[in-house]
Amino acid sequence: MRLPPFFGKKRGHRRTGSQAWGSFGEAVFYAALVAAGLCFAGLLLTGAVGIGPESAAPGWMRGWLWIFIWLIPGALLAFGVAGVARTVRDWGKSEERRAAAEGLGTLLESMGQSPAAQHPFPGVPACDDLVNSPGTILRYRLPIESPESWTLVGMGLFAGLWNAVLVVLAVSAGIDIASGRIEWVLLAVLVPFVLIGVTGIVIFIRRLVLTTAVGTTQLEICDHPLLPESSYDVLLAQSGSGMLRSLVLTLEIEEMASFRQGTDTRTERVIVWRDIVKEWTNLEITPGVRFETHVTVAIPAGAMHSFGSGHNAVRWRLVVRGQPERWPGFVRVFPVVVHPAPPAESAAVRHGATADGVPG
Amino acid sequence: MIPHDEGNGTSKPHAPRIGVVFGHPSRQYAPGEELVVRYDVEGVELPAIRAMERTVVWYTEGKGEEDLGVHRFERIDDLAGLAEALPHGTITACLPASPLSYEGVIVKIRWCVRIRLFFVAGRDFVSEHVFEIGAIAPARGVVERVQ
Repeated sequence: MRLPPFFGKKRGHRRTGSQAWGSFGEAVFYAALVAAGLCFAGLLLTGAVGIGPESAAPGWMRGWLWIFIWLIPGALLAFGVAGVARTVRDWGKSEERRAAAEGLGTLLESMGQSPAAQHPFPGVPACDDLVNSPGTILRYRLPIESPESWTLVGMGLFAGLWNAVLVVLAVSAGIDIASGRIEWVLLAVLVPFVLIGVTGIVIFIRRLVLTTAVGTTQLEICDHPLLPESSYDVLLAQSGSGMLRSLVLTLEIEEMASFRQGTDTRTERVIVWRDIVKEWTNLEITPGVRFETHVTVAIPAGAMHSFGSGHNAVRWRLVVRGQPERWPGFVRVFPVVVHPAPPAESAAVRHGATADGVPG
Repeated sequence: MIPHDEGNGTSKPHAPRIGVVFGHPSRQYAPGEELVVRYDVEGVELPAIRAMERTVVWYTEGKGEEDLGVHRFERIDDLAGLAEALPHGTITACLPASPLSYEGVIVKIRWCVRIRLFFVAGRDFVSEHVFEIGAIAPARGVVERVQ
């Protein structure tokens, strides 16, 4: 019997090394988890390890501790059995056969749907979430995908949790001081905790002011999903107050790829195409009266459609970039979905959209 | 043709040779069109084959992990079926509307026909033949890297 090579290489599409040996190693790993889980469970059942009657913990606490202790063999058994079952299921099967079996599940799910509800474009993301909000003037209001909002939520959560811990520590220190004891270690720990807590609140409030001061941005579109070689009426509305040195609306294609690097999963995103739809300069926005304008967005002929799979995506998006006079600039992203062009259909008027061939 | 032996990743002296002829010599198809591929397997005897898989798939290439989508999958593991499918045969499929072939910067989508032979000895051999669906212009380059 030939033993497997110790190191493998990736050569184009394929990897060196035996798939069978790889699956065998995986099965051995999961079987070891099962064995460890069984051993641990056996020790707990026989009373060799665990919480004995001599434990000083009160009765209710002993019950919870037992539950936590049983979580360890339970998790080992669950991971191990699931892994062994998956390895046995996939043993000797080609990647195409495994992928076909996964696709069968999707097919069975779609069988219960009406023909209209079934997705006619495999690999193209559904746009149900993008067409469930009617616009005030045009047909659909596009949802915003603003990284600024998530940053704000993250900062708020951090500031809130950190300062909650700080309050608990401060109350404890205060009780100690009131009772005449001074815990110097606790006080020393409190100083950097207070500095970090105050900095967190300041950064969060600054970000909150920056996000709200420039006003909201709204985009509405006459039709969705979009098609290549077609043009669409888009309403841009910007609220707020003061002067915007520039406001730019662009149409972009973003490629996104997720990959493993060591034990991390990383995502790389690049813009591979950008078209400036319109640019405004020195825009004065009056409080209470939002800036509204209609523009035409054209999807070029021969453009790639939206695509999404497990680790890769091609995403279309409308992006509004603003530069207020007194505040830092902002970027607001509105995802859209572009379908492939119908095979035999010309660039005729579709659903109220006008034909307008625009070079890529 | 990109033949490779997935048994141990090295070329075997007696590896089969699989030749294919596409219905369109340019190997460019429109979405919804019918794909017809004739194949010819040489260098292997029928008793040595345990099973055969004929598939039409798309897969991603580039920076991300590979994703695979199976459009048509056919496994032949009975003697009568193998006798009919070897050494010559035809793969036909009505191509879907998407995803279309795409040459992006960090995401590429390729369509291919794969013929995989499983030997009685336990190893397998796959032959892959790329074709294109649609006529999407390739990406020109990176405009901006998003942080």
